[in-house]
Amino acid sequence: MGTVIAVISGKGGVGKTTTTANLGLGLALNGKKCAIVDFDIGQRNLDMIIGLENRVVYDMVQVMDEECTMSQAIIKSKVNENLHFLAASQTKDKSVLCSQKVEKLVSDLKAEYDFVILDSPAGIESGFEHTIEFADEAIIVVNPEVSSIRDADRAIGILDAKSQKVKQGHDVKKYLIINRINPAMVESGEMLKSDDILDILNIKLLGKIPEDKNIIDASNQGKPVILNEKSPAGQAYMRIAKRLAGQSVPFEDVESTQAGGVFKKLAGIFK
Amino acid sequence: MKQRQFSIKVIEVEIDNEDEFIEFFDAHAPLFQNHLISIKGDVSEKLKYYLDNMELNYIDNTPLPSGKNLKTINLEEDNTKIDKKELEALQEKLKSQAVDCRIKLQEAQSRINELEKKANRELVVIDEMIRSGQEVDIDGDLLLLNRVNSGGIIKTTGSLIITELVEGGIRCNGAFMMLRVSPKANVVFHGVEVDNSLLQDKLNQIELKDNKIVITPVIKKEKNWVQ
Repeated sequence: MGTVIAVISGKGGVGKTTTTANLGLGLALNGKKCAIVDFDIGQRNLDMIIGLENRVVYDMVQVMDEECTMSQAIIKSKVNENLHFLAASQTKDKSVLCSQKVEKLVSDLKAEYDFVILDSPAGIESGFEHTIEFADEAIIVVNPEVSSIRDADRAIGILDAKSQKVKQGHDVKKYLIINRINPAMVESGEMLKSDDILDILNIKLLGKIPEDKNIIDASNQGKPVILNEKSPAGQAYMRIAKRLAGQSVPFEDVESTQAGGVFKKLAGIFK
Repeated sequence: MKQRQFSIKVIEVEIDNEDEFIEFFDAHAPLFQNHLISIKGDVSEKLKYYLDNMELNYIDNTPLPSGKNLKTINLEEDNTKIDKKELEALQEKLKSQAVDCRIKLQEAQSRINELEKKANRELVVIDEMIRSGQEVDIDGDLLLLNRVNSGGIIKTTGSLIITELVEGGIRCNGAFMMLRVSPKANVVFHGVEVDNSLLQDKLNQIELKDNKIVITPVIKKEKNWVQ
């Protein structure tokens, strides 16, 4: 039995899909069998970001409606054979989802993979509710800005209220990823510090990802940034993937600029 | 079994057979609920127990007045003559006093009920984070030991103490509130928005005195020494 992880954020455009793609690939690179599922029905993006857009024949809605089998719809990644992908339907909308079908799909995947990562749509509508309904864990992606944090806070509230696991009396594990940190802005006090964000949201930190221009290029080319070993964001995603895979990886400071040199680092020790 | 209606409220019974008596009253007990049953002769323990159990009023071995012995009870006549008008005025007065008394009693009763309700209301203690979009609506007093995030809202009819940072909304109608410094909070106390720049100290008490909102520090701000 694997673990089902829902990637949620509340607000749109904070990096859910990028996070899903990178963590899925990161887990696969660490030897875990991993399936990533795009739950953003009607607005599928995940296929482009992992470079599989021209291989989508069947989608998850067709699997749920039993128009095709699961193995027909699953697409294996070119980059790593451990990574499998299930696309969202681009022609239908969120109303086609229903709890029984989603439960069957998720439990089928759970039986076969070590990790099943569900990429949630933005917002807190039915599509989001179906994504979190059968998840064992949730990764909440935020940007260090107030609107993203308030939306994430609301999303966590709904997760705690509507998840099946909570209804059965268990706890859904919640992890926080702070995305798009700009170290220079954090240092000058223009951007929220991660400690403040953790105070507000009160969940476990899984990792911090610095702002990185490489991500845009990586997304456009369909090669997740985690493959770029020189990219700071790619390194950060790799550390998070290792943590998810069960390794203990120390947190790195991505919130201070490296330009300060030895003296700044020394000052940091005495802080 | 012989029975005879003696008067509207009294029935006379002579018992030959106890079982017959019990059978009769099993069937007709509700009819005699407000009557007095006078039983001729002695009553056995069994019947006493039965009658008590059915909650029927009875007397035994008491001869009821009959024939010449039957007298109506006359109230003693008062020979002193009272002026009719005076009497009417007096009656009017008494009547109005009775109404007054009744109103006062009613008021006192409702006040007692209100106080009782207040006294029975338990203090609600919550130690959970109030996240955005959550609404806590409490009829009574609340002690909240965790933070209220932006977009969350707390409503109480009673007093309110929050020990952590508030960034959401507060609607309190109780005797007092105690809040930390909360520059982002939206605080409404008895329908009046409280300027949160006035909440300067570590814990501030906000109360209503003579229709004015009074803010007093409970725990003063700590001095921050230069490190």
